[in-house]
Amino acid sequence: MAKLAFYFDSSRCSACKGCQAACKTWNSLPSPLGQDENPFTGSYQSPLDLNGDTRLLISFSEVAGGSKGVEWSFGRRSCFHCTNAGCVQVCPSGALAHDEETGMVRVTEDKCIGCQYCKYSCPFNVPRHYGYNDKINKCTSCLDRVSHDRQPACVKTCQSETLMFGSRDELLAKANERVAKLQEQGFERAAVYGGNELGGLGLIVVAHHGIESLSLPANPRISGMVNLLDILKPLAGLGAAAVLAGLGVSFLTGIGYERHKLRYDEETHDIIDDETNEVLAHFDFDEEE
Amino acid sequence: MTGHYCDLSNSDVFLTIGSNNVECHPVSAKWVQKAHDKGATWIVVDPRFTRTAACADIYSPIRAGTDIAFFGGMAKYILDNDLWQKEYVRNYTNAAYLLDPGFDFDVKTGMFSGWNEQTKSYEFSTWGYQVDETIPADASPTGAFAWTTEDGVPEFTPPGNKVPKKDMSLEDPQCIFQIFKKHYERYDLDTVSAVCGISVETLELVYKTFGSTGAPDKAGTIMYALGQTQHHYGVQNTRAMGVIQLLLGNIGLAGGGLNALRGEPNVQGSTDMGLLVHNTPGYLAWPTVAKYPNLRTWLDLETSSGGFYTNKPKLFISQLKEWFGSNATLQNDYGYDWLPKLGSDNDVTTMSTFELMNTGFIKGYFLWGQNPAQSTANTKFAREAMSKLDWMVAIDIVETETASFWRAPDLDPATIDTEVFLLPAALPFEKAGTVVNSGRWLQWRYKAVEPFDQAKPDLEICDLLWKEIVKLYKDEGGANPEPILNIKWDYDIDGKIDPRAVAQALNGYVIEGKKLLTTFGDLKADGSTASAMWIYAGFYANNDAPLDPSEQKVGARGREDKGGLALFQQWSWAWPLNRRVLYNRASADVDGKPWDSSRSLVNWTGDAWDNNDVADFVASRVVDGAPTPVAPNNNAFFMNWDQIGRLMIHSLDMPVPEHYEPFESPTDNALNGRENSPMIRFADKESVKKGTREEYPIAVTTYSVVEHWQSGSQTRHCPALVEAMPHQFVEVPEKLAEERGIKNGDLCRVFNNRGSIHVHAFVTPRLHTLLINGKEVHQIGLPHHWGWASMYSTGDVVNDLAPNVGDPGSYIPEYKAFLVDIEKA
Amino acid sequence: METTRRGFLQVSGLAVFAGLTYSLSTQTKAFASEVDPDWKLIRTEESTSVCCYCSGGCGLVISVRDGELINIEGDSDHPINEGGLCSKGASLFQLRNVIDPETREVIPNPNRVTRPLVRRAGASDWEELSWDDAIEEIARRVKDTRDATFVEKDKGVIANRCDGIASLGGAQLHSEDQYGVVKTMRGLGLVAIDNQARV
Repeated sequence: MAKLAFYFDSSRCSACKGCQAACKTWNSLPSPLGQDENPFTGSYQSPLDLNGDTRLLISFSEVAGGSKGVEWSFGRRSCFHCTNAGCVQVCPSGALAHDEETGMVRVTEDKCIGCQYCKYSCPFNVPRHYGYNDKINKCTSCLDRVSHDRQPACVKTCQSETLMFGSRDELLAKANERVAKLQEQGFERAAVYGGNELGGLGLIVVAHHGIESLSLPANPRISGMVNLLDILKPLAGLGAAAVLAGLGVSFLTGIGYERHKLRYDEETHDIIDDETNEVLAHFDFDEEE
Repeated sequence: MTGHYCDLSNSDVFLTIGSNNVECHPVSAKWVQKAHDKGATWIVVDPRFTRTAACADIYSPIRAGTDIAFFGGMAKYILDNDLWQKEYVRNYTNAAYLLDPGFDFDVKTGMFSGWNEQTKSYEFSTWGYQVDETIPADASPTGAFAWTTEDGVPEFTPPGNKVPKKDMSLEDPQCIFQIFKKHYERYDLDTVSAVCGISVETLELVYKTFGSTGAPDKAGTIMYALGQTQHHYGVQNTRAMGVIQLLLGNIGLAGGGLNALRGEPNVQGSTDMGLLVHNTPGYLAWPTVAKYPNLRTWLDLETSSGGFYTNKPKLFISQLKEWFGSNATLQNDYGYDWLPKLGSDNDVTTMSTFELMNTGFIKGYFLWGQNPAQSTANTKFAREAMSKLDWMVAIDIVETETASFWRAPDLDPATIDTEVFLLPAALPFEKAGTVVNSGRWLQWRYKAVEPFDQAKPDLEICDLLWKEIVKLYKDEGGANPEPILNIKWDYDIDGKIDPRAVAQALNGYVIEGKKLLTTFGDLKADGSTASAMWIYAGFYANNDAPLDPSEQKVGARGREDKGGLALFQQWSWAWPLNRRVLYNRASADVDGKPWDSSRSLVNWTGDAWDNNDVADFVASRVVDGAPTPVAPNNNAFFMNWDQIGRLMIHSLDMPVPEHYEPFESPTDNALNGRENSPMIRFADKESVKKGTREEYPIAVTTYSVVEHWQSGSQTRHCPALVEAMPHQFVEVPEKLAEERGIKNGDLCRVFNNRGSIHVHAFVTPRLHTLLINGKEVHQIGLPHHWGWASMYSTGDVVNDLAPNVGDPGSYIPEYKAFLVDIEKA
Repeated sequence: METTRRGFLQVSGLAVFAGLTYSLSTQTKAFASEVDPDWKLIRTEESTSVCCYCSGGCGLVISVRDGELINIEGDSDHPINEGGLCSKGASLFQLRNVIDPETREVIPNPNRVTRPLVRRAGASDWEELSWDDAIEEIARRVKDTRDATFVEKDKGVIANRCDGIASLGGAQLHSEDQYGVVKTMRGLGLVAIDNQARV
């Protein structure tokens, strides 16, 4: 179980996106520099999803109803730092691993081989990759700051005490207290998320309009593929694909935010994202390791 | 703000109206939430459901431009339901004062008494108090004006003080309380509901909740911003809120007040500084040809008969001494004649300058980080007017729409002869100096890095220009060089212009020995003191370290909080005199006991004042050379000559706020027989091109989003912000979208007689179709941050659509409520 | 010029002073205290400042190394923002520098104007010019316009007014800059002076 955790309270969030911007500036993550390069998203949520240069964003969901006529919910979309983390299990190179001291899923970019297994193992569809070498890019929990006695950049900049970072036990207790209070105030669907999911998440969420309002999966599970890939992991890459090919598999991965289907093309020896037709990995069977 | 940001944590009830404080002043939400955690209630009234509304407890929509109807209804509700703070109103307001018997308001015509059709303005003879007697000014050795006889003080005639007639029972039909009550009888729940488009049920909930702060031990605060001011009756919107706060006894309390959340990092400072047509630094009247042809008339007319402003000549003469230095003498009226006098022929406030450029009257234009080609009302007209200029000098960090007006999509550069200079300005952290926040805190910014490349601080640019101009006039002469050559310009330290030298000038000093002053109480009218900005006296007054801002109050970083009310008295410095909550005398009863002992700002212990804040009243007087406490009285508003809060007032356009419709309105005025305020400015200008509700049936309001700021010049320059909110859009209520076949994301055209813009539609339940006077009115919303000039994010200019009409007092345009039509592009 | 002392000064990059020290919780102590030589804030010098967007007056800590901007974040000691910043405040760094998406390196923000520019009559683009030339040319135009539109007397009253020039803006400047603007513009005789408070 994670020793430390993030805490996000949707009932306090004003969606100022300070966290989203602070994550970018502290971690030196670029934004597009072309004129009008970002598309109109039809929402206050922008970009619409995490990408190779965006590790954290504020999500928006509006529905008519409630005592004020509209329920507008703001959520945090970023890594949940799961205890049972599919990405850690599946990562063949050790680029993703639980940090011993904090329990957060730390990123060692140099070790990333760009296989993208993590992306397809994550029930929250979080990991993204960037650039020429397709390096992993996800929330690091700013361990560089934490190890220097500072809060993660997103937490430091949060003005409304929506975001906190600290002892997981304390924050979970705080979340339970908060939800009890919110229910007392009439937020009947208020709920804590992250207490037990996947062995306990490293991001505890208080959802005052209910977990559906933040599109959080009710029962996140690691994809079946993870177990498979876990077995293959020691073979790292080449061999794994061979076994994969032999199975001729098509996997459903990612329960929650988005479902991804992978297929293996036996002729080209590519692993392909069914939705985007992006070639995620290619294997050359003639090559000897 | 009458209070400050941290003080919001002391409130019991918040009313956010005409502000979207969570988005536009995010740090305010932090302090609201602290109070919220203690059980405070937060009400948001806004034409659209904003991120602020999402955070609040109670939300009410409202038709933009109907705030006076809303507050008039609240005043009636407060009085009808006996929620007003009686001792406060009786003692600290002019409720008991008898009004002139000639005062009248005609509901049929919508006019107050005193209208002069020739001058198109009101005469105020019937808007004043009935007077018992006039006490002559006392210039005897113990009198308030004793100082006027000292050597060096220019001759003038101090005014006598009028003693108004009162009825402390508040029953006399001619007393202001009764006249006020009668005025708002028409503002019943049903009428207000029909005008504002708020259900009676919601109105009652809001009125009842905010009215609960009329209890003496409760504090309610109102947060407002441009949603109140950007109307042709914006000043009266503001007054309506002030009046509500007086009725509920909320002004002067910790957690109370009327809090204008100002929109720029130092717009408090630029307002203080008199970067405005009508003011000198520190809110003194700028000389005019008609009213103040010479120093004596200025002193005669501006010196108050009562309250603090009996001292005004000391402030003004000290300012002239800072301005002209040793060239200002008693013999030459301290240089008064060298100050430029405003004429009567032309208004020269922002909107009018475009009319004057259009006719070729104004030929040259300086822009100090402002972007009117994007941000003024009726920007298309403004840009056309700019194209008639001979020259323009824009000082900025980026190429703004104004600096590049000549390549606006609707103009042809080849036909424009204006020469435009764009000078690169330093960023805020590339230079040192003071900024004043909305809570009047003066804080020092240290220089962190050198200006990039050839950028320079604005002060240095002023210095370069000024020295060159002085040289030209010395060498060549020209139109009267005297005002230029007599100016004192001595702000160098070690041979270079330096903000610390200017800070000293702003603070003020005894000229002999240049000793910095700790209070404006030490300023004199005899030419022995100098101060550019009397209200800042004390912010930079440490004579032991005049070159070290960190040793000055402006650099103070103490975290003590005496009284536990988040006053933070030792952190930075608040004008005036480090006072954190204005009008704090009113936080205690007439005997000086706090209405609520847990919120004690000032407290009379029986023989002395024990205050947590700096007294905003005369708490002590020098008697026989020693400071002696002054026992409590009811002079709680001592910046006014009558030293009380005013439910009704001599004012330019209305003695008491009355509802009129926006210049372009979707409906008739249901409260009186007149559509617009009779003193609306510029409605007759050809450039305005009024549209009717038949042509343009959709009501629109304009606003900001948290990710961007003002004209977007700075935020569209930051890629992370562009990515977080990349495009212009129009928010459309679902019903209108359905009627017009508009789907979320569709490109739409929004247009009226002044302009036409293309924007994406955001169809949302957060915007409303309201029932107004029995008819459905669709209200849409346009954020206004975009223009063509950015490498990263561009869009059409929303203010092309806004009407260039304005308020007669503030001359602020009506950006917040006008008419358009919308169609799928 | 530079001020002789800053709000505070720090050169190690480690948050050793009381104000910024942050305990992860009441129970969890900071678990590491060694300074990583590769850490972003190593060897930075810090000064305090105030945000340049809304009127909140939020405090900033600005970190600089070898004269170049490294980081800007909220000042935890500051009573108003207690270390926090909204999205605008959190991206202040980008007013000066941005990240190139191609190289992922820090570069000066290319959208900024850093040299004096002039757009001549009828021209469709800017030309660069020196500060000396810019000041000389502007001063000449100011004098010509002032001389041509100066009103020494208006209806018999000494007016000393320059009608032909207007000045707008100042709400983003420091108060000391503002006094420079008000004194030079009024000094020339301008009466058409306004700023963002009129918006």
